[in-house]
Amino acid sequence: MKSALIIGITGQDGAYLAKLLVDKGYRVAGTSRDAQMAHREGLEALGVAAQVTIHSAALTDFRGLWQVIEKAEPDEVYNLAGQSSVGLSFEQPLQTFESVAMATINILELLRLLGKPIRLYNACSSECFGNAPKPAVETTPFEPRSPYAVAKAASFWAVANYREAFGLFACSGILTNHESPLRPSRFVTRKIVSTACRIAAGSGERLSLGNTGVIRDWGWAAEYVDAMWRMLQQDTPRDFLIATGKSYSLQDFTAQVFAHLGLDHTEHVDVNPGLYRPTDLLESRANPSKARELLGWQATMAMPEVARAMVRAEREHMSAKENRT
Amino acid sequence: MKKKVALITGITGQDGAYLAEMLMEKGYEVHGVKRRSSLFNTSRIDHLYQDPQVKDRGLILHYGDLTDSTNLIRIIQQVRPDELYNLAAQSHVAVSFETPEYTANCDALGTLRVLESIRILGLAEKTRVYQASTSELFGKVREVPQTENTPFYPRSPYAVAKLYAYWITVNYREAYGMFACNGILFNHESPLRGETFVTRKITRALARIKLGLQDCLYLGNLDARRDWGHARDYVEMMWLMLQQDKPDDYVIATGEQYSVRQFIQAAAEELDLPLRFEGQGAEEKAYHGDTGKCVVAVAPRYFRPTEVDTLLGDPTKAREQLGWTPRITFKQMVTEMAKADLREAERDSMCRKQGFATFDYHE
Repeated sequence: MKSALIIGITGQDGAYLAKLLVDKGYRVAGTSRDAQMAHREGLEALGVAAQVTIHSAALTDFRGLWQVIEKAEPDEVYNLAGQSSVGLSFEQPLQTFESVAMATINILELLRLLGKPIRLYNACSSECFGNAPKPAVETTPFEPRSPYAVAKAASFWAVANYREAFGLFACSGILTNHESPLRPSRFVTRKIVSTACRIAAGSGERLSLGNTGVIRDWGWAAEYVDAMWRMLQQDTPRDFLIATGKSYSLQDFTAQVFAHLGLDHTEHVDVNPGLYRPTDLLESRANPSKARELLGWQATMAMPEVARAMVRAEREHMSAKENRT
Repeated sequence: MKKKVALITGITGQDGAYLAEMLMEKGYEVHGVKRRSSLFNTSRIDHLYQDPQVKDRGLILHYGDLTDSTNLIRIIQQVRPDELYNLAAQSHVAVSFETPEYTANCDALGTLRVLESIRILGLAEKTRVYQASTSELFGKVREVPQTENTPFYPRSPYAVAKLYAYWITVNYREAYGMFACNGILFNHESPLRGETFVTRKITRALARIKLGLQDCLYLGNLDARRDWGHARDYVEMMWLMLQQDKPDDYVIATGEQYSVRQFIQAAAEELDLPLRFEGQGAEEKAYHGDTGKCVVAVAPRYFRPTEVDTLLGDPTKAREQLGWTPRITFKQMVTEMAKADLREAERDSMCRKQGFATFDYHE
């Protein structure tokens, strides 16, 4: 039986990855800052909360991480933890660096020290590319434009350096945005879906958005975690760009969501310049052909399917809540 | 006219000392941050020191550390600098493989703490920032020579931390309109270079070998090629960057490249030390031409887990936009370093003959 440790198991990707690995017969352990207070909602929603063990671990506490690795004895470690909001990174740049880059350095150092054949997946982000009007590939130079992206770029290079310097089986997945009903509502996709569904139910509220002209490649989280797993099953550790290959504007996403609810988004949306970021990516495009060729991985859901699935899940969630009350 | 005020983090280092001296000559009030240590660590700026009793001092030192946000905020609040030069760092590539977390804390987060301090104190409009970036960012180089547009490929924890510092500086310039510049400096040396950096290690060891104070010099990769300039030249360019109308990033280099072996040969020649190289790779050695003793040897312990084989900068942009070209040649620099180290070795030798203790200061 293979064993996996998911650092940041209570997040969106952690929950989907736990589900995938449990289904594959892995023994799955995870970490959260405080195991007893951990948010298990995502794991519960996917029906795997009972099958995973959660350990407490602070990412910057080397000793604590060591202890968890000793307990979990993983064959594969997935580093998904870290402050993951671009917007919040402008408010909390130090904490963002510590939880993203310092944590990765800690994990790499630990694997170097232990000298065991543990494989490491590190969650990187297409935010590292900055504006990418031409589809980015793995070798496109980074031009990060937020404290979040700068920290992720540092973590990417730390992984590459430890792979080359110490022969670790460590790789980074450069993932474009990937969504699901488990996204917290501070992320714009979930915010749009939740608000639109409440409006459809007659709440009468308005949806306030920042720059809706931004272009992103939105995929489906459940599919993306499969790519993470595939990366660690290869003979050689390599970095991969994981994307759908199709980009749309936030405006398009909003229109799709409202259309699924039989509404015209133009009647419900306000643009609020207060929500603009100090520096934002206007265009993010990606070409995932290396993942298709070497991992045999391809997204089946792009933005329109993602929007539809999120709306459906939100409505089920709302009616379930109604039934409870 | 009110004196301009500069704050230098890392003032006790090689670049800090040259920069402080240059800014004082230009009439700046210079403030420096030094780390508290149980040993004196201000030898490089000793000649600039002014007693706190002196009125209108040109040089004022503050205890501080880039890993302490509260301390940085307080110093910057007191000093309210017109120009801030962030030179402090754990700057040794090989050491960064041993202390990656500390290196990230000082070099990456330290830079962020400086930028955040300025922003939080409302000095974003007033204070111009120079960030000491490095040619190590190019690492496994993607093109030769390297320019401002060459993509990075960092090859050490030091370079990864400096990559973060580079981009966070760019980000604060773009996001908050700060006048913040990166100087991507290629290697720059001088008699003030730390003794564990390869150039200084070579000139110091060869001088001591010449006087019989040391037997053999052990080094890592002799084939590593670098673009070596003089620190005194390079600090001038730091200042020039902050005098422009617009903030920008610049490669600072000589455009010439020499191997570590060539550096050894140049230094040996300067010291009249005849050397004969034999062997290859880890077996390579250099023997004294007269005595036949082995005086230089490769020690694999100095090899790095990931080597940077070649660095060569293209300083065209700095030349065209800053009107800057390095004045001191490679040969002149090696001469200056070898002479200074020979003098120190002579002092040690003389002290020893008179029965006074001297220190070998091994790594």
